[in-house]
Amino acid sequence: MTEGGKDTQGTDALIARLAQQARPQRPLPHPAHRAMAWALVALTFGAAMVWAIGPRPDMAERLADARFLLEQGAALATGIAAAIAALSLTIPGASPLLRLLPAVPGALWLGTLSVGCLRDWWQLGAEGLRITPDPACFVYIALIGSLPWLVLYLMLRRGVPLAPRLTIALAALAAAGLGNFALRFFHTQDAALMVLLWQVGAVALLAALAGLAGRRLLYWPTRTV
Amino acid sequence: MKAAQAGDTGAYARLLADVALRMRRLVRRRAPWLSPEDVEDLVQDILLSLHQARATWDPARPFLPWMVAIARARVADNARRYAKRAAIALEVSALAETFCDIPTNNTAEAVVNLMSVRTAMRDLTPAEKQAVELLRLREMSLNEAAEASGSTVAALKVAMHRAMRKMKARLRKD
Repeated sequence: MTEGGKDTQGTDALIARLAQQARPQRPLPHPAHRAMAWALVALTFGAAMVWAIGPRPDMAERLADARFLLEQGAALATGIAAAIAALSLTIPGASPLLRLLPAVPGALWLGTLSVGCLRDWWQLGAEGLRITPDPACFVYIALIGSLPWLVLYLMLRRGVPLAPRLTIALAALAAAGLGNFALRFFHTQDAALMVLLWQVGAVALLAALAGLAGRRLLYWPTRTV
Repeated sequence: MKAAQAGDTGAYARLLADVALRMRRLVRRRAPWLSPEDVEDLVQDILLSLHQARATWDPARPFLPWMVAIARARVADNARRYAKRAAIALEVSALAETFCDIPTNNTAEAVVNLMSVRTAMRDLTPAEKQAVELLRLREMSLNEAAEASGSTVAALKVAMHRAMRKMKARLRKD
């Protein structure tokens, strides 16, 4: 079948070996379906963490606050959209539009927080824009996002590393986004600028750092077959 | 591929052989400077990647775009390693950016540009090639390059100017 010659003998042998190894294989479900399964695991873990640390005392009040719900909805949607985008990046020939999916909820998330900053400034003046150190956000987001990230990473390994850095960065965005979503159920920090700086900033930083390790984490198979 | 996913080893072997044939032609056409061993290495990398990725093919979607996406990524990856082996990866990428007017939107295109630059350099005279190598690849100053080549600054400037013009014309033509 292949062009003859000494050079192609190795390739012919490889084809024979690969064909021998071919077992019936079920195609992977659509990235959206896989992302939903992942989100279920991530949210369960997040809920367990909220329960373990203890929910915030004003939870009932927050759940009736439209601004809080909008910010949380956008954070959740960004995380899930980033997971869909990451998973789609490991599927050859998948629609390139899927990788842009997090842009819409991400813009909504940043938009609601930016509007929140303006509102805080309007209502409270300079006090509404006061910045105080809150490094615990980074630690909590990293902690709550750790297991979901690991699960998503294992799911990504079932695909192919077409764009490893972007894929891993999106996976970290997904995990950290859901980590931030859970964080706000026990962390009583609602000042928009503080959330934007310490929480969204932590999510962005984690995504960027993970992206740098992309090529080490997702790589093509070596010729050991 | 559908039969291969169902475990039909005969159909899978035929598919891989056909893919190997097409990929070998594609690689030879795209990278004529590769040795036959390097071409086979690349074809085998593509086959192995396709094998590892076969669960990612959705029978409801066409096979060709799926296979091409894998092949493009592998060619890009291999070109990166090839360039690294030749120890000129960064320099040639910089050349590709310098000489190509077309903006790249992905690695595969960058690699095609890189390959085009290497092809375009073939049209240069030895003096022009030397000028490009010393001034662009080795990033020497005009004085350093003149000293290294035993030429003059003026002659190097002329050679570099002519090399740039020839390479741009070749890249536009391609």
